[in-house]
Amino acid sequence: MSDATSTDGAVDRFDESVAVDRAFRCTDCGRRWYYQRRRCPDCSGTDATTYALETGVLVAVTSVETTPPDVRSPNRLGLARFDGVQLIAQLADEVLSVGDAVEFAGAYRLRDEQERSRPRLSAVDGDSE
Amino acid sequence: MTDALIAGVGMTRFESESTRSVVGLAALAAERAVADSPHAWDDIASLHVGNALAEALGTRAGIANALAAALGIEGVAADRVENTSATGASACHRGVDAVERGAGVALVVGVEKMSVAETSTVTGAIGRLVHDREYEQGLTLPSFGGLAAGAYLDRHDAPREALAAVARKNHRNAVDNEFAQFRREVTLDEALDSPVVADPLRLYDCCPMTDGAAALVVAHEDAAPSAGDDAGSSDDADRSPPDLVRVASTAGATGTHAVADRPDPLDLESVRTAGERAFDGAGLGPDDVDVACIHDAFTVLELLELEELGFYDSGTAWEATLDGETALDGALPVNPGGGLKARGHPLGATGVSQIVELVWQLRGDLPPERRVPDAETGFAINVAGFGNNSVCTVLTA
Repeated sequence: MSDATSTDGAVDRFDESVAVDRAFRCTDCGRRWYYQRRRCPDCSGTDATTYALETGVLVAVTSVETTPPDVRSPNRLGLARFDGVQLIAQLADEVLSVGDAVEFAGAYRLRDEQERSRPRLSAVDGDSE
Repeated sequence: MTDALIAGVGMTRFESESTRSVVGLAALAAERAVADSPHAWDDIASLHVGNALAEALGTRAGIANALAAALGIEGVAADRVENTSATGASACHRGVDAVERGAGVALVVGVEKMSVAETSTVTGAIGRLVHDREYEQGLTLPSFGGLAAGAYLDRHDAPREALAAVARKNHRNAVDNEFAQFRREVTLDEALDSPVVADPLRLYDCCPMTDGAAALVVAHEDAAPSAGDDAGSSDDADRSPPDLVRVASTAGATGTHAVADRPDPLDLESVRTAGERAFDGAGLGPDDVDVACIHDAFTVLELLELEELGFYDSGTAWEATLDGETALDGALPVNPGGGLKARGHPLGATGVSQIVELVWQLRGDLPPERRVPDAETGFAINVAGFGNNSVCTVLTA
């Protein structure tokens, strides 16, 4: 991870090294987004900063049985709503369901072919039962 | 309204494994479409080939040029169109544009041969269409389908039977379609008990992999058929020669690439936008449609698209489906040829096959057990990815 992405500040917003637990905020209009894009979908501004995603809530979950060869099976996935953005990510805990609070935690190889480890969505303490 | 007419249609049987090559499949569909039209090979000014995977699977590059040669129509302008699972409708769109611009005749052919590679190779090639960030998480198209299906059933308090009812209907419609991959009925219980793919989606909620081709002769309304020896099928006594179907409109729209970028997991903005553009272009609305081909790559998509397009209010398409409203004899017959689920889903051919089906319905070519009576307006939607891009076509008799 580059230094530029570990703290709030101007970044190349198409930089794939941006950590998965950070989102983008348009410097011009404040619009927020998660998936890298080169300009703001609202104002077309090209300056953005990143911010850390803290606690999200699961909006939908699935357990995928038929997965690519380098992906775990079943692959439990959650669509989570965070402060200003939504994303889909792997779930660390089997017990998670819609409405649970989640945060990014741990270090996992999400696909065998990937070199880097990433956090998965995990239950916020006390909210997984 | 466009100036383009669908002057001839043809397709191959859709099947799990064809003995023909990808160019052979395309050529057969093309020959059937030209034979079905009043036009001769010499009339064709351009060739538009929809194909998504031949290069990725290592079987053929430059397919449009190979097909032009196979058909003996070198000299035509030719190109290949790719838009993942909406490739077929995009190729039709391209053909309509060419005809409107050049006032001639275009040949549109959609083709895919998915059996040439191992299943994991094909799903791997398809899997690369998702956003890189989603790819990292191991997401596949059925993964999105599972998330959306779970959210749909939760939000609308619908039973799993709501999804299985889509599969049952589309399988039933395919029984009498001699071009369909799966010509057998499935019961709700069979669908509900099939293996889980991405909870709550099961095997029978998902379209198959398919080999097949479909083709259209698209002609400007002012393009007179030549008097060549190979010109068209005047032997079909049931059809008067000018019984041609008009392309009222064709329109596409993109949605977010990353599925989670949508404000609501059940939003398919590309579907809504493309539908609005197509209806505006045709000067028609959902209430005018007599028969529809809806992109049911997953059962839940048929429900979501029917709602996004305005055929049903949000959260009501599942009840309408369970009540039989979308059956062949219902108020709005949907996927009378079996849809992607049972006719099959050869990516590049699917969107073209939807148009072929609608033309057969609007011309009244089909036997009574397969026909939507008195259909005058047909609607098709072909969707790329999980709503990355949608292309709609409105046809009028």
